Amino acid sequence: MELFTPEFGLVFWMFVAFAVLFLVLAKWGWPAIMKSVESRADLIDKGVEYAQNAKEQLDHAREEAEKYIDEARKQQAEMLRDADRMKTQIIEEARAEAQKEAKKQMDAAKVAIEQSRKEAELRFRDEVSSFALEIASKVVRKQMSDEKAQSQLVNSLLDEIENKN
Amino acid sequence: MIMCAVLVSPQCMSASGHDGGQEEKKINPKEIIFEHLGDGYGWEVPFSHDLRIPLPVIVRSYDGEWHCFSSSRIQHGKEYDGFKLGGKDSKWHNKIVGERPVTVGGKTVMEEYRPLDLSITKNVLALFISVIIVMWMILQVASWYRKQGYKAPRKFTGAIEALIEFVYRGVIKPTLGAKSPKFAPYLLTVFFFILVMNLLGLIVIFPGGANLTGNIAVTLVLSLITFLIVNIFGTKHYWKDIFWPDVPLWLKFPIPIMPIIEIFGVFTKPAALTVRLFANMMGGHIIVIVLTLLIFILAVLGPAVAGGATVVSVLFSIFMLLIDVLVSFIQAYVFTMLSTLFISLAQEEGHKEKEHDKELKTEK
Repeated sequence: MELFTPEFGLVFWMFVAFAVLFLVLAKWGWPAIMKSVESRADLIDKGVEYAQNAKEQLDHAREEAEKYIDEARKQQAEMLRDADRMKTQIIEEARAEAQKEAKKQMDAAKVAIEQSRKEAELRFRDEVSSFALEIASKVVRKQMSDEKAQSQLVNSLLDEIENKN
Repeated sequence: MIMCAVLVSPQCMSASGHDGGQEEKKINPKEIIFEHLGDGYGWEVPFSHDLRIPLPVIVRSYDGEWHCFSSSRIQHGKEYDGFKLGGKDSKWHNKIVGERPVTVGGKTVMEEYRPLDLSITKNVLALFISVIIVMWMILQVASWYRKQGYKAPRKFTGAIEALIEFVYRGVIKPTLGAKSPKFAPYLLTVFFFILVMNLLGLIVIFPGGANLTGNIAVTLVLSLITFLIVNIFGTKHYWKDIFWPDVPLWLKFPIPIMPIIEIFGVFTKPAALTVRLFANMMGGHIIVIVLTLLIFILAVLGPAVAGGATVVSVLFSIFMLLIDVLVSFIQAYVFTMLSTLFISLAQEEGHKEKEHDKELKTEK
């Protein structure tokens, strides 16, 4: 049967054709494809890994940012509270200081007034007594009788004046 | 490819129909089948029984002289340069034969002989076309990678790449493991070559139609190369397993039963490869041709039967061609898979290394 007997010509050409095909593809075809497919697979793996990492980092970063914002908010509130407290404290202190100062001034003024009043009283008394003495001496010059009784009378008069004041 | 096969299958039928109608005589199914299955000097053209695309004939005559001429010169029984096609009663029917003088009992008579024939026949041309198609297919994928780098290919390039990946990751890598880069070029080349030859064979008009993988010479060469690779790259362990396998001594000592079986197995493997591909593809071609011829065989029974037979035959032919598309792929796959398997069996190192290999595989 001719179907089952290989023809030499075809066998020969088949060898040649296959050898050419194989050599060409083994040189320029397969190695390049294998290498590229392999490295592309690696690249994709790496890309996926990178993306996963990035996502993780992003999530992490978001959390971190939220944490920071929270902290900042807390700090802000605290600072505001502190400022408020400080303000009231300062006002309070200032008020106290002012009161104290005012009181001191007032006291000083009182003391000064008292003193000057006392001085004035004393001077007035001296003047009054000297006026009285002058008057008395004028009286006495007229009536040189009972000097002692006269001065006693004058003193009691003065005492009366003082009590009236 | 499926589309092509379906589109041209009616053409095949009309071509055959033309044959039958023109000759106005009883058709000879056997001759038609064999003509379609076999090789030829010249390529049939649809709708014409006589017209052939002429192809170069290259022969070396008995005196060592090379002759090269167009196949159209020896068509229809013409003789050229002392060569002609063998007749029906010749030993070499439809092959180029010459005549040479031989002396038989003192008398010199002219005897028909078969010259060394390296003609570019229909099958050889189809072979070249397949080689060019495969080369273009694979090199364009390679050039895509060279130009586009890591971009994923689309359309045809992507489809070819998917096929490469399918064979490389599905068959070669799991079987050969770390050794796959060494043998992958051969196995992938074989896969695509067989696939393209199979599919081209299903197209009925010019670039296709040659029953290439259904020709034993083609499958023989392919399995011979696999055979050579298996045995040239075979490890010591492989040869030890053949000549001194791990079986009870009486099986191999005075009479080497097991070694004989093993040696037998070395040669049956490529034989099985040869016959499997050849028979499968030839079977597909025969079924389609027979289904088509059925119309003309049944035509003598009257127009009603012929009409019914035509419808049924065409439907069945289309169905068979579709199945053949599947078979084309499966046979290419099976040939590659078995080649991979045979190579990997010859790559076995002792048991320790085998386990190590397995570890490597699982790691991957």
